[in-house]
Amino acid sequence: MRRLVMLIGIVFVISIGSFYLIHLLPGDPAVVILGTGASPAAKAILFHQLGLDKPVYLQYFAWISNVARGNMGTSFISQSSVAATIRAALPIDLEIIVLSQILAFAAAIPAAMRSARKPDGALDRLLGASSFTLLSVPPFIIIVLLVLLISIKLGIPHTGPSSYVTLASDPIGNLESLSLPAFTLAIGSFVVYYRVLRSDLIATLQEEFITMARSKGLSQRRIMWRHAFRPSSVALLGTASVNIGGLLASGFVVQYLLAIPGLGYTLITAINMSDYLLVQGIVLTVSVGVVVINFIFDFIINIVDPRISRE
Amino acid sequence: MSDNRKDEFATDPLVGDMAQGMFLAEEATLVEKPEKTEPLGILFWVCVGWIAVNVLAAVLANVLPLKNPYFEDFNNINVGPGLHHLFGTDDLGRDIFSRVVFGSRVSIAVGVGAMIIGFGIGAPLGMLAAYRRGRFDTFITTIMYVLLAFPAIIATIAVLSFWTPRSLVKIIIVIGLASVPLVYRVIRTATLSVATKDYIIAAKVQGATDGRILVKELLPNIAPIGVSFLLIGIATVITLEGALAFLGLSVNPPTPSWGNMINEARTVLAENPYLVIFPSVALCLFLLCLNFIGDRLRTHFDVTEVKL
Amino acid sequence: MSEKLLIVKDLSTTFATAGGPLPAVDGVSFDLEQNETLGIVGESGSGKTVLSRTIMGLQPRTNVTVTGSATINGFEVVGASEKAKREIWGTEVAMVFQDPMTSLNPVMRIGKQIDEALRVRLGMDRAAAKARAIELLELVGIPSPVERYNAFPGQLSGGMRQRVVIATALACSPKLLMADEPTTGLDVTIQAQILNLLDELKERLKMSVILVTHDLGVVATRTSRIVVMYAGRIVETGNTRDVFYHHRMPYTRALLESSPKVSNLSHTRLTTIPGRPPNLLNLSDGCSFAPRCSYATDQCHLVRPPLQAADEPGHAFACWNPLPTTRGASSS
Ligand SMILES: Nc1ncnc2c1ncn2[C@@H]1O[C@H](COP(=O)(O)OP(=O)(O)O)[C@@H](O)[C@H]1O
Ligand SMILES: [Mg+2]
Repeated sequence: MRRLVMLIGIVFVISIGSFYLIHLLPGDPAVVILGTGASPAAKAILFHQLGLDKPVYLQYFAWISNVARGNMGTSFISQSSVAATIRAALPIDLEIIVLSQILAFAAAIPAAMRSARKPDGALDRLLGASSFTLLSVPPFIIIVLLVLLISIKLGIPHTGPSSYVTLASDPIGNLESLSLPAFTLAIGSFVVYYRVLRSDLIATLQEEFITMARSKGLSQRRIMWRHAFRPSSVALLGTASVNIGGLLASGFVVQYLLAIPGLGYTLITAINMSDYLLVQGIVLTVSVGVVVINFIFDFIINIVDPRISRE
Repeated sequence: MSDNRKDEFATDPLVGDMAQGMFLAEEATLVEKPEKTEPLGILFWVCVGWIAVNVLAAVLANVLPLKNPYFEDFNNINVGPGLHHLFGTDDLGRDIFSRVVFGSRVSIAVGVGAMIIGFGIGAPLGMLAAYRRGRFDTFITTIMYVLLAFPAIIATIAVLSFWTPRSLVKIIIVIGLASVPLVYRVIRTATLSVATKDYIIAAKVQGATDGRILVKELLPNIAPIGVSFLLIGIATVITLEGALAFLGLSVNPPTPSWGNMINEARTVLAENPYLVIFPSVALCLFLLCLNFIGDRLRTHFDVTEVKL
Repeated sequence: MSEKLLIVKDLSTTFATAGGPLPAVDGVSFDLEQNETLGIVGESGSGKTVLSRTIMGLQPRTNVTVTGSATINGFEVVGASEKAKREIWGTEVAMVFQDPMTSLNPVMRIGKQIDEALRVRLGMDRAAAKARAIELLELVGIPSPVERYNAFPGQLSGGMRQRVVIATALACSPKLLMADEPTTGLDVTIQAQILNLLDELKERLKMSVILVTHDLGVVATRTSRIVVMYAGRIVETGNTRDVFYHHRMPYTRALLESSPKVSNLSHTRLTTIPGRPPNLLNLSDGCSFAPRCSYATDQCHLVRPPLQAADEPGHAFACWNPLPTTRGASSS
């Protein structure tokens, strides 16, 4: 309940931030939005559309009530609806993120379980060193190197820049064209998830209830999954939740390189064309999205861990 | 412990506490920590050395015998690494080695500058909030947590996208401000764990002034955590700047930075892979060393703290 | 039923630590009849927990060396593989852990924690296991067991949690129940309830019980024999009566004097044993208790006293300067 209030508060702050962005920045909003060479007629239309002649709080209410109804305005640059543009781009980001998270979890969980079973063993040392190294390789470098290797040297189709295939036209090709982005994001997530889960598992395995589970004569497999993984998955979920913002940003980077028309690519293009309304719309969507996803994660964590909900 | 007493009978608290106290006293005498600090290790010093070399090169780039990083030699485009051009040349015939060295200046400046802002604002606030507690703490902490929920990277992109023309100073300011809530949280938590210790309370009782306690007692105690987080923070900021540069949202070309060199390289990836490999390796090594030093310091100081 | 349920012979457990080998248990021997209750007492750090876990074979798998022998109903625990030991855990021997706050999995419903043993070890189906788990909850005196079956440990008080731990330990009807300070973290009245429960269950289920505690008062009326431990070794052992009234070892007396329930005059000050327990990494060749003992002589500091028989059958102590037989606990 307290969290819900917090959520609403944060969304409110974000909306004010996105709305007020234009006023925070130095210079004439009309010039920022339309560019320096705009005609007086265009300026007049803009003034009317944004209600720039009215007091700021009225402008905000007019804007937020439009946004709440799914109307984020019409871009002055492309003359298309901002909301429609976002709706077209968003699924691509989601697909990349979901694919990457499946890969990351599928790799990180078994790896961490093995490492934690024999801390300081050969496997643990190897994974520890390599994950620490990967921690220092930013996603934009990973994707560039992957493109260099996979699409340029090996020539795998649909993996290079500007070769995005839509899901509707060719599902396999679509998967191919999103494989490098998903893999890049997966590496970044894997490293973090592996490290967090491993150290939490090692701590959990020291707990008395693990000894108690052993003393019941349960198999090691069962102890690892039922008794150690469950409590430690709380730490994993918390990390995944915090990771979402970074994940989106990494998604932007890979889309930009490969010209995949998701939110990130659209955002950078919009920035380069000074399409203010589109930038504002994407920033708002993404920020609110991250906050809401965090909220959902909190909710899941509460279900998984009865210790938290009692407090 | 307290919920023991809920649905069972109330008992003589004295007896219970005494038995408990005795048991704890017994246990306490047993705790003998091994006299051992985790050594920093040779790799730690290798990393320190590498960072030092990088920083020195960045500072002295103008006086070092380097080629002009802006000189476009159209007779030598996309030349591979060799004696004349150590790392080869880019698609405009500029010397990659000298661009990598000059490019480090942007990364280091942003990393250090942003963290000066972040720590300059976040650290005093965090220490004060944790030391004072009460309403002041609640107020600041709530604000910081709201800000923390706002994805910093998106906010940074949003602001930088329209605050044009972009310059190094603007980038430092934006990233620096974005890092304040994070620094605040780390420092506040660290201070909290120290502020409740006996010697701090003793100092308070003896009538030391708040300022004195903050500077003389608290600061030295949280400094190790602060320094280790500072290094990791610098690495994070440099990564962020790299990503921004890669997206074309950092310093404007032709000023080289590791991130925008990689960005420029992506168009000639097939023809000249060296253009992407050298700045990438330089950036990754720098980040790796920072992270390694920060991590080592943290475990090193953790062990000593237990020993106290 | 004269066949021994548990035979411990010259059992030693040594941890490899950063400061060198740490002999937590050193050359311990004793045995246990069917349906008997044995008390193991000693200060904190005397090795009681390590001893009971070693007997069960529950030590951590790294950095520990166990020598000697411990046979439970004919099964040699020392050196047995984890897989082999799983066969006796739960069914032959089970343990009630010291701290009910940490020994239950906080994210698992308590019912599940009980019936998992039933399903895995006894192959019961879901419904049968649940019914049996509820029966067990009832047996250990948990009110409204059907509702409590679905509770998380965090929703129960310490006393209730310890009952759950006991129910879990009893799930597969073990022949030997090890209770390692089962009441230390609990309030005094609840301590008595839990101890009485253990007593009652032992009679009803025909088990043997090893009751580990740092408080002689706890074992006074509930055990037939007592083993007194100090610094990982047995320093006195015998029938409960003999240990209480005819103890010869100064350490045993010190323990008695520090027990709140034995020196039951409410106005007498509880005495803790002066001095600190020895550093196990750095033991002298003599009696480990000598530095804290007011009767200690040069011999005590130089030569370790062996366990020697006292007048009473089954009573033995390790001391060069034993207390005279006539002066028992009655004087204190
Ligand atoms: N895993 C371990 N590694 C090293 N030393 C241990 C370990 N477990 C117990 N010890 C040491 O063994 C000694 C006996 O401990 P313990 O059996 O817990 O005492 P008690 O149960 O009698 O209070 C203590 O000195 C303790 O520090
Ligand atoms: Mg113990």
